Amino acid sequence: MMRRFFAPLLAAGLLAGAAAHAEDTLSPLKFQSEGAFGSIDLAAAQRGFAVYQGVCASCHGMGALHYRDLQALGFTAEQVAGIAASVKLADGSAATPDSHFKEPAPVNMGGATPPDLSSIVAQRPGGTRYIYNFLTGFGPAPAGITLLPGHNYNAAFPGGQVSMPDVLRDNAVTYADGTKATKAQEAADVAEFLTWASDPNLSARHAVGLRAVIFFAFLTIVAVLTKRRIWRQEG
Amino acid sequence: MEAKQGWLASRVPGLGCVCGLMKEGRAPGVCWIAALPALLGALLAVLLASGAVITVYYNPWHAYASLQGITREVRGGWLVLSYHQVGASLAFALLYLHLFRILLVRGYRAPAEFAWMLWVKLLALLLLTGWLGFVLNGGEGGYSSLFNTSNAATTLSGFPGAVAMWFLGGQPGGSTLARLLVFHVLLALCAVWVILMARAAARKARPMLQGRVVPFWPVYAAQYFAALSALALLFALLLGFAPHWGQGTQNAIPAAAMAVPSISYPWYLTPLAGLAGVFPSVTGHIWAVVAAVALLYALPWLDRSKGAPPGRVYKLLTWLLALDVLALGLFTACPIGPMLPELLTFWFFFHFLVLTPLVTMMEAA
Repeated sequence: MMRRFFAPLLAAGLLAGAAAHAEDTLSPLKFQSEGAFGSIDLAAAQRGFAVYQGVCASCHGMGALHYRDLQALGFTAEQVAGIAASVKLADGSAATPDSHFKEPAPVNMGGATPPDLSSIVAQRPGGTRYIYNFLTGFGPAPAGITLLPGHNYNAAFPGGQVSMPDVLRDNAVTYADGTKATKAQEAADVAEFLTWASDPNLSARHAVGLRAVIFFAFLTIVAVLTKRRIWRQEG
Repeated sequence: MEAKQGWLASRVPGLGCVCGLMKEGRAPGVCWIAALPALLGALLAVLLASGAVITVYYNPWHAYASLQGITREVRGGWLVLSYHQVGASLAFALLYLHLFRILLVRGYRAPAEFAWMLWVKLLALLLLTGWLGFVLNGGEGGYSSLFNTSNAATTLSGFPGAVAMWFLGGQPGGSTLARLLVFHVLLALCAVWVILMARAAARKARPMLQGRVVPFWPVYAAQYFAALSALALLFALLLGFAPHWGQGTQNAIPAAAMAVPSISYPWYLTPLAGLAGVFPSVTGHIWAVVAAVALLYALPWLDRSKGAPPGRVYKLLTWLLALDVLALGLFTACPIGPMLPELLTFWFFFHFLVLTPLVTMMEAA
């Protein structure tokens, strides 16, 4: 409950520096991280972290990440220190930038355990879009579907019912960059953040790959021409 | 060059032999596809180098977490892991292509039958090494596969049981991955030795040169370099834009002591996994895999053609076999019909046990 209360304040503090409004990426839905030339949208991922910290983190851990890793999203060392300092670990002490993300107290959702989100985008077919579809896929069960006790209908989840409740709502967090925190915006932002968390090297990989492809494409052309020339002379 | 070669050859015979290859005479106009074994060797070198780096940071007692650490904490670790993953994928692709080409031109017959047997041994080694790599990831799919295999292995008795016990060490526990890591590395080193042997054997089995002869340097060196460069381009494409191509998402989930209903293998293991899955019980799976590889191994004896060139029917059947294996992999990964894997597996065995002896005998007559 404390976390719920502090989440908007925390998000406001985090994003005070970033003033740019997000452009509309919701209709049609697009993610900057998608495609061969995709890279992580740092502003969206920062907002997504605010959503994670304010909403998801009460049940889902991200054990593979440290708070210092957030610097890759464009947070300064001071901001990261501030984020870490605002997290109270289980033993009562405050987290440091070198701490792993806080593990939430174990929750039992009618036999289901909330999965760790460190690599969730790599672990689910459909990746980023699946996360978005899942978070926006809750709704009343259509006729003919009987929900198990303690389950909620979700159109994107395999089988259609899931123990997790619909947690995102409009203004669940307040974005410091002024972006309107609609439910869909929050879902898209947290999906981008989780994409970064699963593959922190996505942008670097695409940059390295593109340079290597250009280099070897030229090398292959030169090598084939050389081979033809030599074969004309000697072959 | 001449002097250097003599100097080297008189001191290190092996190295002198490598320099000698540069001057070796060859028939003119050989297709680039004959460079496949050399490319495969280059990929094995990439796999060994990247594997050496990964092994330093890998912790078999915390396999999944240590690979996460290599990806997230080790500088450039994600790139080295991708080299290993993409290298494995391409090595299998090239080996499958090479085996298919030998089948198509009947390159497995005497005097090249020894080289063929070595290529099949390389396939068996790479399949086993690839499976071990899949298991060593510490993911859900790999763990389930290991669990099933070691369970089946405990039911084997006699000599196979003793070998399985020595290899897997009984039920999977904390130290099983440490043991399998040793085998992963050892088998990879064996693969290097086998590929060198196979190349030497294939070179010996080449027909005597007649007519015009061209030197390896620079004629074939230029061809090999162009082929290597094209391979590097393909490597870079996969590395940058599809590093997990054909791997599935299942093994990205950390292993839990809970069996998964169906294991999704990396693409290069799926045809064999599909073939094995047709047979009842995991013991049956193991024997099916052994039988499939043994059939390839026995091909020089199943072929009754006595030196006749491959005819049209044989070539058609070989293409069908390639499609059969591809389809087996595809429909194992995304099952659509209940009887499809059974039919495709039946065709695989039918091709080698019945069609090959029959057609080759008819074509030789």
